[in-house]
Amino acid sequence: MEIRRDVFQAIADPTRRAILGLVALQAMTPGAIAENFNSSRQTISKHIQILNECELLSQTQSGREIYYHFNPSKMKEIADWLDPYRKLWEGRLSAMDDLLTEMQTKKGKSKK
Amino acid sequence: MAKQIEVTRIFNAPIEMVWKIWTDPELVKRWWGPKHYISPVARIDFRIGGQSLVSMKAPPEMGGQEFFSIWEYVKIVPLKTIEFIQNLADKNGNKTDPAKLGMPSDFPLDIKTVVTFKEVADNKTEMTVTEYAEFGSISNFAQIGLEQSMEKMAAIFS
Repeated sequence: MEIRRDVFQAIADPTRRAILGLVALQAMTPGAIAENFNSSRQTISKHIQILNECELLSQTQSGREIYYHFNPSKMKEIADWLDPYRKLWEGRLSAMDDLLTEMQTKKGKSKK
Repeated sequence: MAKQIEVTRIFNAPIEMVWKIWTDPELVKRWWGPKHYISPVARIDFRIGGQSLVSMKAPPEMGGQEFFSIWEYVKIVPLKTIEFIQNLADKNGNKTDPAKLGMPSDFPLDIKTVVTFKEVADNKTEMTVTEYAEFGSISNFAQIGLEQSMEKMAAIFS
């Protein structure tokens, strides 16, 4: 079964995350991207293809060269997915804060 | 492993006290559950290789379901770092398939959680919680519908 590509699959791989890091700074040709890695050009090509299919990259043609651009709006899907988890931890930190304040108060009282 | 979440806070408390809220079961119960939840169970086995069992129970008006999690400690550096692997579990502490618990089937498994403690001033402690997860485990998220699952989770965590 072919699983549809999504952003989570795209960023599951460290090489792909590194490619995103590079392209986020400036649009690059596949050749320029590959120069930053020890892997074969073919391997990097495959990673670029996956990122492209996941819509994290967009491409523009300039003469004979293809330039890849970073598509930050797609990354928002990840942030949205993580948001409830982040909120859960934020809530716990607030509960910890209250608890520690209470412990401090008690400790202060018992000393006196 | 990709970093998923990182939250940091500076508490007005000494480092020993902040450390203690992770190791004393009665104190863990006070903060683990989200707002309006209670944490009836905190069985803490605080040692490398040890496994703690914690629970959070939804209020009755939200169905009252109790969710159990296990924390398996992989690294403990006193007053500096606690590292553990989080998983959903049954009430006996056996790792459980999230789908069986009514969670999205691709709820991340084996969430590596790193807690660090740092004294930043007298009686002030900075604590950071970082969660890492394999995004591979949630790669079919889009298939089941991002929106639908988000709603489900929002209901669980709100």
